[in-house]
Amino acid sequence: MCWRSQGRGGCKYAPFSEPTIFLNSYAPLCRVATSSPQGGRLDTAMTLTSKLIDFFAERGCVAPEIAILQPADPFLETAGEDLRRRVFITENEVGDALCLRPEFTIPACLHHLASPEKLPRRYAYCGTVFRQHREGTVEFLQAGIEDFGRSDVVAADVDCLADAHAALAACGVDQTRTIFGDQAIFEAIVAALGLPQGWQTRLIRAFGDDKQLAAYVARLTDGPVGGGSSIEHELLQHVTDGDMDQVEMAVAAKMSEAGLPQQGGRTAVEIARRAIVKTRLANTRLDKAQAAALSDFLAINVTGIDADEALTKFERDHALDLGPAKLGLLERLELLKIRGLPLETFRYKASFGRRLDYYSGLLFEIYVGKSTQPAIGGGRYDRLMTLLGSATPIPAVGFSIWPERLENPGDVR
Amino acid sequence: MTLVIGIPSKGRLKDKALGIFETAGLPITLSSDARNYRGRVEKHQRVEVALLSASEIAGELANGKIHLGITGEDLVRENIPHFEDKVELVAALGFGHADVVVGLPEAWIDVETMADLDDVAAEFRLRHGRRLRIATKYWRLTQGFFARHGIATYRIIESLGATEGAPAAGQADIIVDITSTGSTLKANQLKIPEDGVVLKSQANLVSSKTAVRDAGAYSLEAEIVSAVQNSL
Repeated sequence: MCWRSQGRGGCKYAPFSEPTIFLNSYAPLCRVATSSPQGGRLDTAMTLTSKLIDFFAERGCVAPEIAILQPADPFLETAGEDLRRRVFITENEVGDALCLRPEFTIPACLHHLASPEKLPRRYAYCGTVFRQHREGTVEFLQAGIEDFGRSDVVAADVDCLADAHAALAACGVDQTRTIFGDQAIFEAIVAALGLPQGWQTRLIRAFGDDKQLAAYVARLTDGPVGGGSSIEHELLQHVTDGDMDQVEMAVAAKMSEAGLPQQGGRTAVEIARRAIVKTRLANTRLDKAQAAALSDFLAINVTGIDADEALTKFERDHALDLGPAKLGLLERLELLKIRGLPLETFRYKASFGRRLDYYSGLLFEIYVGKSTQPAIGGGRYDRLMTLLGSATPIPAVGFSIWPERLENPGDVR
Repeated sequence: MTLVIGIPSKGRLKDKALGIFETAGLPITLSSDARNYRGRVEKHQRVEVALLSASEIAGELANGKIHLGITGEDLVRENIPHFEDKVELVAALGFGHADVVVGLPEAWIDVETMADLDDVAAEFRLRHGRRLRIATKYWRLTQGFFARHGIATYRIIESLGATEGAPAAGQADIIVDITSTGSTLKANQLKIPEDGVVLKSQANLVSSKTAVRDAGAYSLEAEIVSAVQNSL
């Protein structure tokens, strides 16, 4: 659930010019190298990583030095508290929480923010990441490219997807399946349905979580569950009347009575405003046609070749115009076709997304052979740099490979 | 081989736990030396009773140091990672009732459900430059509960006592804590959202899955468990 498809990666950043340092620094390589069957068409993870390092260098990527021990806060702040049980956390002498790097994307962003270089710039990495699992291995190889600062987002997305496939080809892998989705199209549909802003953000936030999304749609269709309000009668009247001054005063009184700090947390204005808006939103309903549009859209699951037709049919059936969002996706597909990517092995799954608030557009996973685990996860995350403290938004797109999943694609770990 | 049973070492939990065994026809005699923290079941010379704190009992059951024990379900679920693999809750004992709940400031009149809290948590960082903070000593239960409600955007502040004071002290925005009557929450002007009960806990007889038993200990344990179950 964290990051792209458990497919964000990173490594002991070794400069590409010194591959021996990289290899020496990767202890489990010995294990991989000796336990994997040599010969045949399967390479060991070690061979694969050196091929990937060459590939990244060819593509003009730079490989920053990224420490194994990272500050834990940026990971917990962006990926959420749930990550805590999946990372290895320790402390330094003064009590700062540190963790073994669980991926490379956030460290790559932090590296860029700490020592900004001219953008656009492509960073690459290859090394070990550490994640807690109930059983089995906790050290994995990850490699990948993060592309920062390109304003030609369509072309950058296409390069990212094409390079992900090229990286697999460089590893000698050709039988792939790609699943992709695009949050921008979902956002366009929610906007086209004319729902109030509060409901739009709620639905967009749930995108990628089919159950949560279905629950919201059910609530919008059938009305709210649960009983009346717990707000006392007089105040409730002010809330229903939308009397901001009265509500704010009442909330401020409750806050000071409870001794809540006046600053640093939720304010009386914020609480009062949301209480009033919420009462208004409670009466929002989706009519049958709107609900059908949402569920028809989320059910779209077609090959890359048929995506255009499916979306056009959807627009016609529901008299909706998806505008630039749809055109953007089609343009990407067209460019991928020109680049020679096998769109018949791509599946456009409209509901494919991830519940992390920094993903913003295209998202994809690439599977090899019969594996049920993606060998690559990637996507656009234009909001991440800002979350990590960048003063200006920096568009970003990237992908991560799990080289160990290429060794024996038939295996399901 | 000896069968070791862990019993809470003090307070109401201890008295109630001793009462359970008494009712089951297995009265426990405690060592006359109060500092000894040991006891015996008269009927079964091969049973040893160890008086431990309720959270120690959960830990020792998980480690397999004791075979049976009486402790709170909240402690089992919170203190033992993947508790289903380590222990089995064999009987709910009908005392030690307490709920682990989400506590919000009463001033948050706009938050009545976990879905409301999800909205607030999602936009918290945008508004306040940081994630919503939850003070709790139940971080595992909290994570599981919030994940079930689809909420990931928050941070846990570990709290080792007086959790209910954290919002007023500015250490956290909300809390997850245990309450038996709700009076502490009320006194601190905190409220529980409609669907904000994380766990309804009570004292349980718990069996360790990791403790070693020979055939004798195994059948002795089965006998004791069914005596307790039948007496409830």
